[in-house]
This record gives sequence, structure tokens and C-alpha cells, in this order.
Amino acid sequence: MLEVTAISKRFGGLTAVSEVSFSVEAGSVTALIGPNGAGKTTVFNLVSGFLRPDGGTIRFAGRSIDRWRADTIARAGLVRVFQAPRVPTRMSVLENMLLAAKHQPGERLALSLFAPRRVARREGEIRRRALEILELIHLQHLADAYAGTLSGGQRKLLELGRALMVEPQMILLDEPMAGVAPVLALQLLDHIQQLRNRRGVTVFVIEHDMEVVMSISERVIVMDEGRVIADGSPEAIQNDERVIEAYLGRLAPDGKPEPGGTTP
Amino acid sequence: MDILNPAFWTFVALIAGIYVIFSLGLYVQFSLAGLPNFGHVAFMAVAAYTMAILVVRYSVSLQVAAALGVAAAVCLGLVLGIPSLRLRADYLAIATVAGGEIVRYLAMNLPGLTGGPLGSIGLLGPGNIASYNQEWQGLLDRLTAALSIPLGRSATRDLAMALLVWALAGTLLVVFWRLERSPWGRVLKAIREDETAATAVGKNVFAFKMQALVLGAVLGALAGLLLAWQIGVFSPDDYQPTLTFYAYLILILGGMNRLWAIPVGAAAFSLLYSGTRFMDFFPLSLINSGSRAFLRLFLVGLLLVLFMALRPEGLLGNRRELLLEK
Repeated sequence: MLEVTAISKRFGGLTAVSEVSFSVEAGSVTALIGPNGAGKTTVFNLVSGFLRPDGGTIRFAGRSIDRWRADTIARAGLVRVFQAPRVPTRMSVLENMLLAAKHQPGERLALSLFAPRRVARREGEIRRRALEILELIHLQHLADAYAGTLSGGQRKLLELGRALMVEPQMILLDEPMAGVAPVLALQLLDHIQQLRNRRGVTVFVIEHDMEVVMSISERVIVMDEGRVIADGSPEAIQNDERVIEAYLGRLAPDGKPEPGGTTP
Repeated sequence: MDILNPAFWTFVALIAGIYVIFSLGLYVQFSLAGLPNFGHVAFMAVAAYTMAILVVRYSVSLQVAAALGVAAAVCLGLVLGIPSLRLRADYLAIATVAGGEIVRYLAMNLPGLTGGPLGSIGLLGPGNIASYNQEWQGLLDRLTAALSIPLGRSATRDLAMALLVWALAGTLLVVFWRLERSPWGRVLKAIREDETAATAVGKNVFAFKMQALVLGAVLGALAGLLLAWQIGVFSPDDYQPTLTFYAYLILILGGMNRLWAIPVGAAAFSLLYSGTRFMDFFPLSLINSGSRAFLRLFLVGLLLVLFMALRPEGLLGNRRELLLEK
């Protein structure tokens, strides 16, 4: 589904990502882990087109996307969800959902004025779909509330739902569990698994909670200091010496990470 | 002229109508798309100058000259937008402030093209008095004559002009009201609130912003043409940056994100603008009438400050929406 070959990104003198290569298989849940500053979010920014790589290639669903604009990449089915939810606050929850839909002719000036019936027909389809997804993520009762009145966790749910409106083949989740209340976190986790199991969406996720990583993902890619240092099954990763050294090095004797061992 | 004279109220309505169109342009850019344009007056100036130069120097017909005037404003919009719309909003603000002043200084300092400080009257060079307005006046005269059939002697040129202006303003308000509620308007709103979110769900933010900027330019240009035809002769001084702030005042008076509040804001502004001449009572009567005209500017500033401090949602705005954090 996604093939990244030797991508690099420098910010001035700092090499944030250096010759990184990996692939994400269609239909998998793949986790990207690594200590703070390892370059994980930069990789997401490069893959989703928010940053341009200085070198290397990125292929998605058989097409080379490394020179594409971010919005084109999203429309092609590779949708990114941010670590800090990006939700237009002065729009209602439902409007947030409707916004993300593709193929709405009413987004073109002339058609929105002169083809009102076509626009209304598509708007009806989009609205039904949006309400379905809102029900799925248990936000339907908030459909008309301003998104700005939602809690942090609800915003993350909304952003996930909104990403679904784009009809993604693959979704990039940047720390979906961070800063979410435990009850919502469980729900969120469930949704992420449903995404793959029911809809066949490939999930690529940055996550710090090792328990979550080990339970949901089939593949784990580990980065440290801008490089990929390991890539394999969760079990193999847990036993990889380089990973233990770089990332899990501060494991307490009982096998659980110490409070300071993982980054928040 | 006294305050009960219908001619005064016709004039107030006429100016209000022109400012509705002018502010609607700013509304599309600033309120809908979140583009801070501090040089809106430049679109007015470029359209008026293009029209006048073409009519006076090249004897182009009024309609063609007007269309080319609007086209020139669109070009200015593209010139300002292409380099700055990919950057943060602040850069557009800087570009438009500079753009507005550059247009005015060029008009002032290229007498061969623009008539220089003399303005449109100097378009044919020293010694010749130029006018771009005959065709428009002819049109207004015919309209006034038609109006005098039902209205008799109360049909004036200003009344004909006011009706024309409001017919156009009303149509444009309806068109943009529909656009605001369309999926197109929804994308602009999302861009205003969070560009990154709009990009992440697949919207070409640059293209949408450019559309908003150019539409605003067209509306500014239309207002510029109407104002030029109304005042009959103009100079670079008629395009001071203050005009842009009049448009901001109108948006703020009405309620920043309320399209239907624009006519209310424009009416309030026009009354204020034209009504300052009646402020000849004590103690203001101690100041001479020329200085009193400057009270207008003072009042505009005072009102802006008062509204921002006491009623940021404007006369008709929604306070709840305003208080939501980004």
C-alpha cells in the first residue's frame, strides 16, 4: 500500500529523517514507534505531503506521490489525523463532517450557483453518510453543536470520523490515544480496529503506549535519531537488542516501562 | 439642506448602497475566508482609473471600459495573491497594505497616465478638462425621465442612481448569501478556521483563497466604478486607506460574520458619514465647517474602538460564536 524508499528531510543543519525506508502492507495495522525526536511525525508529514522530502521516493497504491500536494494525497485516499486535533471550532460537528466529503459539485463556484439540484442531491448523500458515521462514533447527539464545545477526546473522535468521510484507503494516526480520557481511549481503540476489520482501511499509527502498540499492530517500525532501526512483528521488536537499547532501555525488572521510560 | 429634506436621505441611501457592495467584497475575503485585506480601496482605484483612462483617452464605450476596469482589479488581486496566499495570513495583510498605497502613489506620480494629483480632470493633459462621465450621465438622465412618469418632480438623478445601486447591491447580497451557505462557503469557512484541517481533508486551500480574493476584488471594483460615476471626477486623494477602514467599520458595526448585517452597518455608516454636516450645534459650531468634516474620521475611530470594547459582536452578531476559541 505504502512504500517509502530512502526519504530524507533536513531542517537547516538538523537531519530529522535520514534515508528512511519501510513499507506498510495493505490491510495491516502498522505502528511507528521511537523516542521523542526520532522523526516519526516528520515521516508522517512527508508521507502526507505536508512536507516535501529532500530525497527519496514515496509510493502509495502504486503511484509516486512524493511531489504531490497534501490535499491531492488526501483525495487519493491517504488521510492524516493530527496529534493535536485540528477541528474548525466555529463550525458544527456535522459541518465538520460534511466538509470532508469528496465529489461535492457545490464546492465549485459556478456549480453551486447554477446547478443547485445536483448540489442538493449530493449533499443529501453526504449528510446521510455523515450521520451514519457520527452514530458509529457516538457523536450523533452533538451533530449541531459547535465543534469548539467538544472535549479533547471528542475532538479526536470527530477528526477520526471526518477522516472516514474522505473515504480513505489508508489512514495515518499521530498518537491517537494521547490526552484522551481512559473511557474514550478504549472507544477510540475499538474504532481503530473496526476501521481495518470492517472497512479494510490500512492503519499506520504513531503510538507511545507500548501495551496499545503490542495489542493492535501486526508490524512495528522503530525509529531512532531519524533512522529506522528495526522493523518486524511486535514480538521480534520486543526482543530486538537495538530497540531495547534505544527505546525500551529503561525497562524495570517486571517488564513494564518505568514512568519516565516512555514519552508522553 | 436640512435633515428632513428627502434629497439628503436619498444621498445617504445611495452612499450606503455603494458601501454595501464595497464591504461585501471585504466580507467575502475577510469574514468568509479569513483573508486580512487592508488595501481593499486599491481595487476601487484601479477599476475607476482603468475605466476613466479608457473612456477619455481611447474613447472606449462605457460597458467595455467598465468590464476592463473590473478585469484590471482582478489582475491586481492575482498579483497580490499569488506570492502571498501560500504564506501565513500576515503576509497578505502586508502585501495589501503596500499594494493599496502603491496604487495611490502611482496614480499621484504618473501624470502622463493618470492625470497626476489633478486626478481624472487632468487625463487629457494641462489645459484640457477631461470627463469620463457623459455616457453614464446620459443613462441616468434617461432613467430619471422614466422615473418621473410615476413619481413626477420627486424623481431625481440621485434617486435613479440610488435605485440602480440598491438593485445591484440586493442582487449581490442574495448571490453571496447563497454562496455562503453552499459547500463552497463551507470550505472557505473551514479555511478561515483551520487551514491545515481543510488541507488534510483534501481541499486545495490556495485555490479557494484565490477565488475569495478575486471575488472580493470584483466587488471592490464594482463599488469603485459606481462611486466614480457618482462623484463625476476623482483624484488619488479619493482613494485614501481610510476607505478600507470604512468597510471594516461597516462589517464591525453590523456584526463581523453576518452577511445580512452589512446593509445595517452600511446604513449606519452612511448616516454618520453624511450626517456630520449637521453637527453645527454648540460647541461644535465653534469649529469652522472645513474642520468639522474631520469629525467624521474622529467618529469612525471612536466607534471602532467602542464597538470592539463593548459590543464586539456588532449590532446583529452572535456573541456565543465569537467567544469560542480557535
